[in-house]
Amino acid sequence: MRGYHDIGGEEAGPVPKEELPWLYWEKKVEAIRNLLGDATRRLVSLDEMRHGFESFGIEKYKRYSFYRRRLEALIDTLEIKGVLTRKELDAEVAQVKADWISDDTGTGAGSHEQG
Amino acid sequence: MNRGERVPARFEVGDKVQVLDLNIEGHIRTPSYIRGKSGKIIQFCGFFLNPEDLSVGNTGGPVYPLYRVSFAMKDLWSDYDRGEDDELCIEVYDHWLDTSKT
Repeated sequence: MRGYHDIGGEEAGPVPKEELPWLYWEKKVEAIRNLLGDATRRLVSLDEMRHGFESFGIEKYKRYSFYRRRLEALIDTLEIKGVLTRKELDAEVAQVKADWISDDTGTGAGSHEQG
Repeated sequence: MNRGERVPARFEVGDKVQVLDLNIEGHIRTPSYIRGKSGKIIQFCGFFLNPEDLSVGNTGGPVYPLYRVSFAMKDLWSDYDRGEDDELCIEVYDHWLDTSKT
């Protein structure tokens, strides 16, 4: 068995040596994964997340960035385990965005409570 | 093997080993470029939960011996033309190893 992610030794051409910024949301995803996987919770292990994006299929895998793969696989795993649903997550994101916009325009602080 | 059990370590530092090509579906940590290759145990890392179990949410064990294994670069890559003594060191779990025949 050789997965599409197991690329060691394949022809790849020259390695681009450029520094990419580590985005805030990327750091946040890693932090959340660490908390979910620590010894007190053990909700999502690093290997579970890896298994997730190694099962995406090559097209989806190649379409996403390194951290987006990890985020999507993390959500998938949480959904499989019944911790949350994509629908709940989308609603939460929409709510936070709405609060953000209302804060931004000075029309009052967001009233959304963190769950 | 049940929860909390420990798979016995079969190898010691200095042993010559060959990496197996196990036909395991799912998440594995043994890259294809070392499968079938022979190397040498250079360190015993301890006992750890198997990533193959962890990848499907099994956190109950058993724990497996993990070794650091060195390979000659020229054994891994047929066109390797750098240092004659260059080595690659990689961590491999016990169940992926066998005693080397060479």
